[in-house]
Amino acid sequence: MSPKPIRAKNARTIAIQLDHRAASCPEGVTVLRAAELNGVFIPSLCSHKDLSPFGGCRLCMVEIDGMRGYPLACSTVVQDGMSVLTETTAIREMRRDILELMLSEHPSSCLICTEQAECRENQYTIRKSGVSTGCRTCPKDGQCELQSLVEKLGVSEIRHPVYYRGYEAEHDDPFFDRDYNLCILCGRCVRMCQEVRGASVLAFMNRGPKTQIGPAFGRSHVEAGCEFCGACVSVCPTGALVDKASKWDGKPDGAEISTCPFCALGCQVELHHKNGRLSKVHPHLDHEINDGQLCVRGRFCLPETTHHHERARKPVLKRGRYFREVDWPEALEDVASRLRGLEAGDFLMLISPDLTNESLYTAQKFVRSVLRTNSIDSTARWALPGGTGVWSRLFSLPISIEALAHADAIIAVGLDSRFYFSVAGVQIRRALREGAVLVTIDSRDSNLARVADHWLRSAPGMEGRVLRAMVERLFSGDAGAAPHAAAGCGIEEVSLAKAVRSIASCRSLAVVVSPSAFAVDPGGELAEALFRLEGREQTTFLPLMHGTNTRGALELGALGELLPGFEKADDAARVSLADVLEGRARPKVLYLVGEAPFFERPPCEYVIAQDIYLPPFEVDAFLPAASFVEAEGTLTNVEGRVQRSAAVEHLPDGARTGRVRPDWMIFSMLAETLSADGLHFANAGEVLCEISRRVAGFPASGDRRPRRTSPTVDILPRGAGAHPPADSARRLIAEPGGFRHRGIDLSHVVEGLSELRLEEGLRLHPDDLEELGVKDGDRIVVHVDGMNVTGTARADADCAPRSVTVHRPHAYGGLAHRQGLQCLYRFDGRLLNVTVSGHRNS
Amino acid sequence: MISDATRARINELFERYPDRRSAMIPLLLLLQEERGWLSPETMREAGEVLDLPPVRIYEVATFYTMLRTRPCGKYLLQVCRNLSCSLVGGEGVLRHIEKRLGIHDGQTTPDGCFTLMTVECLGSCGTGPVVQVNGDYHENLDVAKLDKLLDSLT
Ligand code: SF4
Ligand code: SF4
Ligand code: SF4
Ligand code: FES
Ligand code: FES
Repeated sequence: MSPKPIRAKNARTIAIQLDHRAASCPEGVTVLRAAELNGVFIPSLCSHKDLSPFGGCRLCMVEIDGMRGYPLACSTVVQDGMSVLTETTAIREMRRDILELMLSEHPSSCLICTEQAECRENQYTIRKSGVSTGCRTCPKDGQCELQSLVEKLGVSEIRHPVYYRGYEAEHDDPFFDRDYNLCILCGRCVRMCQEVRGASVLAFMNRGPKTQIGPAFGRSHVEAGCEFCGACVSVCPTGALVDKASKWDGKPDGAEISTCPFCALGCQVELHHKNGRLSKVHPHLDHEINDGQLCVRGRFCLPETTHHHERARKPVLKRGRYFREVDWPEALEDVASRLRGLEAGDFLMLISPDLTNESLYTAQKFVRSVLRTNSIDSTARWALPGGTGVWSRLFSLPISIEALAHADAIIAVGLDSRFYFSVAGVQIRRALREGAVLVTIDSRDSNLARVADHWLRSAPGMEGRVLRAMVERLFSGDAGAAPHAAAGCGIEEVSLAKAVRSIASCRSLAVVVSPSAFAVDPGGELAEALFRLEGREQTTFLPLMHGTNTRGALELGALGELLPGFEKADDAARVSLADVLEGRARPKVLYLVGEAPFFERPPCEYVIAQDIYLPPFEVDAFLPAASFVEAEGTLTNVEGRVQRSAAVEHLPDGARTGRVRPDWMIFSMLAETLSADGLHFANAGEVLCEISRRVAGFPASGDRRPRRTSPTVDILPRGAGAHPPADSARRLIAEPGGFRHRGIDLSHVVEGLSELRLEEGLRLHPDDLEELGVKDGDRIVVHVDGMNVTGTARADADCAPRSVTVHRPHAYGGLAHRQGLQCLYRFDGRLLNVTVSGHRNS
Repeated sequence: MISDATRARINELFERYPDRRSAMIPLLLLLQEERGWLSPETMREAGEVLDLPPVRIYEVATFYTMLRTRPCGKYLLQVCRNLSCSLVGGEGVLRHIEKRLGIHDGQTTPDGCFTLMTVECLGSCGTGPVVQVNGDYHENLDVAKLDKLLDSLT
């Protein structure tokens, strides 16, 4: 086990000497950190703030009074009164020697080339060569730590025999490329993968001159279980690891801090742009949420989602049997003519919970004040199982992501953080390194279950009951005498008691519950347990739901029954999504804003789609919306922080760039076409101001502190609790999928994600497949509720035994490959007994 | 599958170290002694025993030359190629083995009988040239002695 990074919490300040000058720093930090705090530069290539000291590059050597030789600044802890020399003639010489040795195994012709100054003018044509022979043909040129150190320390010749390793560059895995000819073996990627991400994909292999980085047994990254979080790529000081998509973009022109538009954690990202286009996304060092970490979606999926060739950028109207690109005025007039004089019940707007606060608010205002109806609905509802009342109360709890990292004990329910809510997983790992206790409650195996002190493997759908039983025992203080027994949940009383004991004595507790767990808890036992825990001191929560701005959608009135600020709306003649899906209502006009929860065109006279992609069925009008990098706005994360989503692409209208508009602006333009007042906003900031006047506690700008809402909504009566599974049958778990954004399935537009096949097929445990006599990839039939559903079987060792898991996306748009599973999507939240058989081709 | 007998020996090993993970190298040597080499499957099993991801075993196994990650013949011939042995004919010994068995450094005879490996100083410089066969030293070798040795092994 590698040593813990040296940290200093509330440390006292000590006095030291740095290069003969008096300086001070907190006790317990390394000499390298002390120098950094005092603005003194010490070269280093292998150390990193989040990683344990490694002492691999030896560039950070210094002289310390009373110590022999040249101790390493990155792994020596400062002592009171220590006197350090960071640069002497001897040290400077040795550092140069070290760099020369590194360069003797690194394609470095450009670094020592005497024609460097003229190079850029002449050599641009060679940039896209497949192999990096020097900096000019390396994707990291101008952004490389090695390069800048070489320039800084002034190395201009290599007095050692030059050696080229001749490894083949690795391009086969999605998202990032690897060329280990450029690797300096600093080990940052290995430590990042192991210590911070807990993924343990990478290692040093072999030794001496043959040392190389990679996964074990010559496997690919996909095979080795890589999460494609890109954390290794972000810390690589050379061009060995680089993003595929932005590889040849060169040094970005600049970066804007923004919020990831893909999930409710609201990670802070840096949007790097080049020539007015989003080039790549890097994690921002925001210590309150993600502290330099992201997941595959935030790190790699933004550019492709906004730049994909299928992006729809121009208004389109259906004219007879044809579709025609039109100007905005024509499109607006056509839509407006259909909206005039509608009766109650003739209209429904469906709006995606992935939109900005500004767009959600303007949408509901448009529906309510211009069209004078409450017929607005959202799939946000599907992300809030148990109902809006439960969730408005959940949002009144102290919710914190950061608190996970400092908790003494953590209970994680149903969470696998590899591809969903990864940053929560990273924070949990931080706590574990500090000695926290982790209890997971999950019918499935997960990356967290594997490192948990106690894994309570419940029967599918029984997670809520187990948590409730735990909480009851926590409060009764007596592990034996609790009212709800664990029996029937698949948990033995002793293991439950053990888990309870291990957290009972802990001061701070953090509880995180995943959307998958909420989805299979129709009785609301999870929420009930959380509400009981509210009474415990030093307890924080993280109830997770899919949809980026689901919390904003709920708070700002995107659901028909609630006005902004959780005020109740009147119920008269309101049409809902469920009405349409179940055939109870057939509104004449359906307005889809970033939503496409249908496989086929719904039976309405006039369908408007407003999105960044065309829906997978015919519509009468298409209004092109701006994507997350094309419009300013704010997003509310699960903690209630209102955070900026920055625009980095300001595209003028044109043949190629199209005529996209922010969603809120489209509503505003429509209102104007309908000669309605009250929706004129000059910019997103004005909308935000109005929201803050309307909704108590909503910040007007620049304040991204977490907020607790004060719920005024009643909690609706709950459904019945789950029943323990019948012995003979398998359980169908239709869990919400998370890879969606607005009306699209991300796995459909982002090629790399589709290669990972994360939400595809009917997932069963390999033992179950064996029992059924089918192999991964075979077609199987699930018999459910009198229907037969055919789909592809996928072996997934994490699945609970005797269950079938299917990812049920909220947005069906673009789900061509999932159409066969269509009727499974009806089974929201219910756990059904199903039987499965191999497919016979008849 | 790790046999019960081996498991008993592993448990014995664990008792010698305060932390299980410290027993990694002795454990790998033990498994290698039993199975001839460390296959990916063996490394995975070792990972399970030590509660570590397989990649942590792999990095150690590929680092130490005494741990073999490729199949090995019945007899492993380790020929010293360091200075003292070279001065008294070590290179000739190596060439003779190569010629007689038709294999080079790192290779195994097709019948799976011999694997040839060159190694650094075996710590027996006074009695060079030295060849280690499955752990036993054969010292002061020349071509004749070598032939006798190889004959006795086939
Ligand atoms: S990795 Fe850095 S130093 Fe090496 S060739 Fe690329 S830019 Fe130059
Ligand atoms: S992308 Fe993440 S999981 Fe994959 S190797 Fe890099 S750090 Fe490890
Ligand atoms: S790939 Fe990059 S981060 Fe990893 S060891 Fe090589 S240079 Fe360091
Ligand atoms: S930074 Fe200290 S040895 Fe690399
Ligand atoms: S040189 Fe061969 S044993 Fe030392």
